[in-house]
Amino acid sequence: MSVITCNGLTKKYGRNKALNNLSFSIEENKITGLIGRNGSGKTTLLKIIAGHLKETSGEIKVFSEKPYNNLMVSANIIFIHDQMNLPAALNLKEILVVAANFYENWNSELANRLFDYFSFNPSHYYQDLSKGMKSTFNSILGLSARCPLTLFDEPTTGMDAGVRHDFYRAMLKDYISYPRSIIISSHHLNEVEDLLEDILLIKEGKEHLHLPSEDFKEWSIGMQGKTAIINEWTVDKEIIHTRSIGLDQSYVVVRNQFSEQEVQRARIAGIELSPVSASDLCVYLTSKTEGGIDDVFNHG
Amino acid sequence: MNLNLDGTKPIYLQISEWLEREILNGNFESDQKIYSQYQLAEIFNINPATAAKGLNILADENILYKKRGLGMFVTSAAKEMILTKRKNETLKKLVQEIVLEAERLSVSKGELIEMIKAADLGGEEK
Repeated sequence: MSVITCNGLTKKYGRNKALNNLSFSIEENKITGLIGRNGSGKTTLLKIIAGHLKETSGEIKVFSEKPYNNLMVSANIIFIHDQMNLPAALNLKEILVVAANFYENWNSELANRLFDYFSFNPSHYYQDLSKGMKSTFNSILGLSARCPLTLFDEPTTGMDAGVRHDFYRAMLKDYISYPRSIIISSHHLNEVEDLLEDILLIKEGKEHLHLPSEDFKEWSIGMQGKTAIINEWTVDKEIIHTRSIGLDQSYVVVRNQFSEQEVQRARIAGIELSPVSASDLCVYLTSKTEGGIDDVFNHG
Repeated sequence: MNLNLDGTKPIYLQISEWLEREILNGNFESDQKIYSQYQLAEIFNINPATAAKGLNILADENILYKKRGLGMFVTSAAKEMILTKRKNETLKKLVQEIVLEAERLSVSKGELIEMIKAADLGGEEK
């Protein structure tokens, strides 16, 4: 069953299209990574899913209903982002107590354990926390609410490496004991990719690729060798990224459509083949040019 | 074991290979229940669907069998099948790599065979 389906979803800010004819659907009880560069429309999409924003055109259904101004949808969603509006008059512990009233599946035990583990002081106030501590507190809310649909928009902003690691593990463990649909957007794909079941890559407001995370690794292949030989092998291939190395060598990433025999022949021809990690692939795919930043410097 | 997370090998293959090693080591006997996808997900900090993919590979190869509602179990022929598979696939590939590298370095087949023999002498057999 799908928790989210959207069809031709478009959102305009003035003349600017933040989402441009986006179509995809997300299955129930999966952890999906929402990946895209800065300004690609991730946050806009999450806001529309959460019902905070209304689409300009196209269709979106969350739990089979339109999310905007919808009580049923908002009761079943928690949306964690870095501009959470939490009551300034309550201290941290009081916020946890109040939050329990809003979410049907709220797990106080988990909330308190995480609260203690991350050494929060119950009498402190949210607005006085550091950026990283705010993110950590937000993620406690996100996990403990156990909402059927949990949206994390860059949940690890400002967290140090240790806390990020702990957060990912906490998310996985609680997901295992209490499966639900989770969408997480992150700039640290290499850190989360193993936790994801699917990856939804968006580029300039459009769906670019939506695949199981494991298939991402096999979707493309890196080839390195003498430029002349590489060019020969990649002439009719979909080239995703290219970079020259040394005097006469190139590294090229192409769609992996080689058969076992072709791979063998390429090896014998002196080409080194290597898998491309999901995070590298996403960077290449969302780059505006094949050469990336190097193109800025290779002019004339 | 720590997974190699640099993307050079799909995680589900690393999971199935790790399970094979566990079976070869004798940590799991035939008809014994193996880890569930959730246990594997916890051990290796990966998505349970990925862990399931690793288990399913072994089920497709009849190294594991499913008991509905109970989980996956080791078949009686598991050990033997893993050994044959490794000989036919893994070892063959490694040998190909060696031959290829030898060619690049213009090492003759005869020389290569001598090297293999020499390497063998360092082992425990003789």
